[in-house]
Amino acid sequence: MLDPDELYWQFKERLNAVAGECYRIRTAQEAERFLAGLLQEKEVKDLVLVESPLTKAGNMIAEFESVGIRVYSESLREKAPVVGAGVTELNWAIAELGTMVQIGTDVNQRLASSLPPIHVALIQTSRLLPTLTETLKTLHSLPQIPGFVGLITGPSRTADIERVLTIGVHGPEQFVAIFVDEEAGEED
Amino acid sequence: MANSEFKDKIGQALGNSTLRGALGRFGEFYLTARAKVYEGYDFEILRDKVAETKAYAASHLDEMLDQFEQAATARGAKVFRANTGEDAKRYIAELALQNGVKGIVKSKSMASEEIHLNEDLIAQGINVQETDLGEWILQLCGQTPSHMVMPALHMTKEQVADVFTDHLGRLNDPDIAQLVKTARNELRAKFLEADMGISGANAAVAETGTLMLITNEGNARLTSTLPRIHVFLVGIEKLVPRFEDLEYILQTLPRSATAQAITSYVTMVTGPTPVYLPDGTIQDKEMHIVLMDNGRRAMYADEKFKKTFQCIRCASCLNVCPAYQLVGGHVYGHIYTGGIGTILTAFLNAEKFAENPQNLCLQCGKCAEVCPGKLDIPDMLLELRTRFATRKGLPMVQKFALDIVSNRSVFHALLRVAAKAQKPLTKGAPVIRHLPLFLSGLTEKRSLPAIAEVAFRETFKKLPQELPQGLEKPQGTIALYAGCLLDFVYPKIGEGVVKALNDKGYRVVFPEGQSCCGAPATYMGDVKNAKKSAMLNIEALSAETVDYVVSACPTCTHALKDSYKAMLSGDADWEVRAEVLSSKVIDFSKLLQELGGFELGGDGQGLNVTYHDSCHLKRKMGVYKEPRAHLNAIKGLNLIEMKESDRCCGFAGSYSIKFPEISAPILERKLQHIEDSQADVVAVDCPGCLLQIAGGLDQKGSKVKVMHTAEILLNYHSSK
Repeated sequence: MLDPDELYWQFKERLNAVAGECYRIRTAQEAERFLAGLLQEKEVKDLVLVESPLTKAGNMIAEFESVGIRVYSESLREKAPVVGAGVTELNWAIAELGTMVQIGTDVNQRLASSLPPIHVALIQTSRLLPTLTETLKTLHSLPQIPGFVGLITGPSRTADIERVLTIGVHGPEQFVAIFVDEEAGEED
Repeated sequence: MANSEFKDKIGQALGNSTLRGALGRFGEFYLTARAKVYEGYDFEILRDKVAETKAYAASHLDEMLDQFEQAATARGAKVFRANTGEDAKRYIAELALQNGVKGIVKSKSMASEEIHLNEDLIAQGINVQETDLGEWILQLCGQTPSHMVMPALHMTKEQVADVFTDHLGRLNDPDIAQLVKTARNELRAKFLEADMGISGANAAVAETGTLMLITNEGNARLTSTLPRIHVFLVGIEKLVPRFEDLEYILQTLPRSATAQAITSYVTMVTGPTPVYLPDGTIQDKEMHIVLMDNGRRAMYADEKFKKTFQCIRCASCLNVCPAYQLVGGHVYGHIYTGGIGTILTAFLNAEKFAENPQNLCLQCGKCAEVCPGKLDIPDMLLELRTRFATRKGLPMVQKFALDIVSNRSVFHALLRVAAKAQKPLTKGAPVIRHLPLFLSGLTEKRSLPAIAEVAFRETFKKLPQELPQGLEKPQGTIALYAGCLLDFVYPKIGEGVVKALNDKGYRVVFPEGQSCCGAPATYMGDVKNAKKSAMLNIEALSAETVDYVVSACPTCTHALKDSYKAMLSGDADWEVRAEVLSSKVIDFSKLLQELGGFELGGDGQGLNVTYHDSCHLKRKMGVYKEPRAHLNAIKGLNLIEMKESDRCCGFAGSYSIKFPEISAPILERKLQHIEDSQADVVAVDCPGCLLQIAGGLDQKGSKVKVMHTAEILLNYHSSK
């Protein structure tokens, strides 16, 4: 196995190069606090969140609500199009490309990550994979290929008008990756 | 030959400065960005994998389709096989009708454009929205894509703002960020309302029934998340055998298409996933996969066009095409644009639509060099050209010219007459600056060289052929194949070749029976005359036993070495003779390198030289290091690399006669790079490039000289 620090730095460099934000934090609780601050800075008033081991490790919803951010974790079809951000935990990160891998069979996972203007992607640092080759192998080794797999590399972009790169078309305008070192247990 | 309506379209495109600007800027950005994004990856290995994977799937098509259908069905998708575009449209329209579909959102799909799917659905009263920004802009103003990956590449922000203003009934400023925001808001509503999503797929995995979509905007994610029905319209060439094969597509498609390591989003869908229904409940969506043939099998069945199944639709062939960069996509007249587009149009729409645009190919081969699927697009276009010419015959004038060129005694006699008759036009100078009336297009942007008073075949007889001191008998014998330009226009090149080879201890012979190599006929699609030339030359060049057959014209070398073999294959006797000749044929620069390289030091006088790579030499023979090595061996010579040294000069044989209006701006760009290099001399290895570049520089009044490498070497030899 490659050095996680090295993989992380490689990942961060690639993601930053395509206008994605990337942070690495030691524990789940520190991550919550950091994220609450970051979202306040971004003037997020409300968000949708899909519960997962990392959001439950501390109490992310309570943390956000304590700083005045309204959190919805249900009825996402109505809320996801109107809130300021979406928070979801993703499954792997590919160091080679600065790409995050999402198993999005759950419709809420997809809605929360594709409709709001900001997508915060949580992930365990241990989920870093070195290459795309490794990633495809990993996906194929699952009992079956998940119904929906999304590879996400930074925010939504277009260059369809005059070849000028413009961030944020149909998907999020901002993409924030948060790596958490502390193990928060497996997804059920 | 291109008809006048087609010529008008070219004229309009060339006159559109917006289009020219956008295409030119992108073309320049693309090459460097592409090179950078492939750093650390072996493109040759990757494209071998792409080609291998897709070729395997194509050659096992039925097995792949069955396997895909089984896997996708097992996961809950419905698979429909459409033989024609009509079948596909009927299926989708009925599906929409049965399910009471009112709104459809579409993620980019060239296959749906190919069959004009939108029209049918709209006629049924359904609101169909393209959601890819470029496609949406085009939908609003009723245009077709001008590029496969960047459909609205030809439009300015001002034009887009006007389109939005008209559509939305409120003023839109030409501010790109604002326009994008407007599109987001407008289309977001459509996504949320739509009952059905339609998308294409960039790959379909037979093993797992997985469909992969590659996008940047995020519209494919929304299309596969929000509507309760999702239809994938997939061409049968999209299959790959195994899930892991997706890697090869993923590592090449974004890099080659837009110079990105990976796009913002890659979406892999395997079977239906849950969706919110309008009543708020969650349920698995309906997923339909339409596997469409629509002419693809016929394309595969045609031996010459099999490899089209290896195309991954990255459009890198457009991005590097000198002709496409000038005229843009709409001149090609159909949905698929550029060289590959012309081929696809011929099979997927109708052959007749390819007749005009196939002429646009310069045969420079740059697209084949960058193609991730290893398609030889120029070769396929030439095959189309040949088929059209064989079926319909060439226009009188062309036919007459080629008949003459392929008849050695008549052609050579004519050239002798012309050498005398041209005097009033040359006014004693080595070039012709103006031609009368109908031929004036030929001398508009470049002068033409005068025909040499004494042809090389005459000069040759008097050449001393001195071997190096101390060598008693020659190392061997080399036959020199001159080719028309060297023989009748630039005999000095021939002298340089003979001298350089004598220095290596070889005796050079000039087989008298040699004639035009046949390339002019080949590139106009005239197989009959091309074959005639091939046989004449095979006969002439095998009259004497030699160690090598050398040529200083890469187009001739390519004809002698590769084309003869291909065009005579199947003819038992001639096939073998062509093979024997091929094994001996070698380009001058390469031969000189094999024999030890140029060794004469030079005089140490400073001379700035830049090198222009000939298309045929670099891309057909892989020779580009050798001539540079010869030049670098000259003391005092300073070799400066010009920008885009391997970009076509626009001569391309008869192309500069067929399309002087396209050839001229291509030449202009080359001349600019030459002048920017601040060299005193441009070295070339092709007499055709020499003719084109020298003519352009003369017309511009430039002081820069153009010389064949063999001529430069001769100069240093003489000054020794």
